[in-house]
Amino acid sequence: MSLQYHLKLAHGDVAPYVLLPGDPGRVPLVASLWDESREVASNREYVTFTGTYRGVPISCTSTGIGCPSTAIAMEELARVGATTFVRIGTCGTFQDRVHTGDMAIFDSAARYDGASRLYAPIEFPAVASHEVVAAAIEAGERLGYPFHVGTTRSADTFYAMHPRPGSSFNDYWQSAWREHFDDLKRLNVVAAEMEASVILVLARIWGLRAGGIAVVLDNVLRVSGDSGEFDPQEQFDHGGDEIERLARMGSEIVRIVAERDAASERAPAT
Amino acid sequence: MSTQYHVKLAPGDVAPYVLLPGDPGRVPVVASHWDEAREVSRNREYVTYTGTYRGASISCTSTGIGAPSTAIALEELARVGATTFVRIGTCGSLQEQVRIGDVAIFDSAARYDGASQLYAPIEFPAVADHGVVSAAIQAAHGQGVTHHVGTTFSTDVFYTPQEGVAFGGYQQSWAREVYEDARRQNILAAEMESSVLMVLTRIWGLRGGAMAVVADDVFASVDETGAFDAEATFDVGAAQMERLARVGSETVRLLSERDAAGRTG
Repeated sequence: MSLQYHLKLAHGDVAPYVLLPGDPGRVPLVASLWDESREVASNREYVTFTGTYRGVPISCTSTGIGCPSTAIAMEELARVGATTFVRIGTCGTFQDRVHTGDMAIFDSAARYDGASRLYAPIEFPAVASHEVVAAAIEAGERLGYPFHVGTTRSADTFYAMHPRPGSSFNDYWQSAWREHFDDLKRLNVVAAEMEASVILVLARIWGLRAGGIAVVLDNVLRVSGDSGEFDPQEQFDHGGDEIERLARMGSEIVRIVAERDAASERAPAT
Repeated sequence: MSTQYHVKLAPGDVAPYVLLPGDPGRVPVVASHWDEAREVSRNREYVTYTGTYRGASISCTSTGIGAPSTAIALEELARVGATTFVRIGTCGSLQEQVRIGDVAIFDSAARYDGASQLYAPIEFPAVADHGVVSAAIQAAHGQGVTHHVGTTFSTDVFYTPQEGVAFGGYQQSWAREVYEDARRQNILAAEMESSVLMVLTRIWGLRGGAMAVVADDVFASVDETGAFDAEATFDVGAAQMERLARVGSETVRLLSERDAAGRTG
């Protein structure tokens, strides 16, 4: 098989276990925590590093923002031998009990995206592999990071659907948005981000494994003040060691899953 | 609080852990595996027994068939103190490797029901509590029961409008390949109650999960004349129900022990 069209990867270039951040700039940061790593491909928003982490083969590929580019990354990674996908990203939260800097572990996603619907009808659940969820909980406990297990709302929009005018350009707004965030809070949805739903749906329908974690950057119900203005550059907190903790927890999840796979001496399954 | 309108239960009548079969006739069968059990209520399709199983407080309430009556059972059980809901039912297999008599453990459901859509938009996932899923897997292992973990197709229609299935040859084009598509989506099985159970427990912050013994193969339940005869093709023997009751009760025991040890799952 030749190189994959977008990712520029061939068989042998990636480990079975792949971490998936959105931002290509984070891939070398993630890989810097491993024992050894090398860049194996870089094209468009897709950057891939492969290496070993505490004895386990591991890769990290950026997906770009949103489900369309993420679906392409999943399709091409699966073709070159990836079997276990762990999204590592950033998110907002709808819940007051979830604080900035906490980790959200996604066992499922609400499907407010377009790409996953082109693969499976909307009734189909976006659900993580219980093996990945269990490994994420264990990694969070071992590392001592505060975490919350629950559902994420994966949406195709960053600026739209906020409760008041001001988040979208020129105060564009729709009345259907007024209680959308409040409804999600009442539905017990933990997080808001833009990629998990398609990762979970695709892995599930292919008989592969996926899960996801994200570090919480803000409470989406409070991010736009009374004015409705939404300025992520001003309001989001990327300052600390959030990305390093995210990278460490993701790598630990891979190590735990890989060690369990080796112990059970079987091929990864959902 | 007075007695709940349909299930005729009051606080104190049920354990925090409730097994949920569809058929009221199966409730005493399930309870017969416990150390002690008593019937605490009986009204319409809702029969409830409460007792203890290997040291764990446990209840069993029938839901009737379908998501509407199941939603009522869940609403009323939650009001009287139930926190952990484990459906134990029967299902039809959509996958070759899922055989009659095996147990399917559902970590999620495709939402082909109406009731759950009145509570949460269709984008919202029907997902089981991971603690219930892991306890169910451990219980099935412990009982030596062949099991599979995956998604169920929860539908409001038993007699799907497919050729030979619905009365009078009634058909709809949407139904023609609906189960073939579900099989391609890697969905394990089809049944009629899990989606609403998973959605309601999730939005309330409670725990839900589901398992079902495989009673038939959805693709083989139409005979050579093209007719669908559930009475002739479904196999829900006493041994299968006993297996289900045992794995369900063991799931509750494991959850109860983990909760007591301070792990909330």
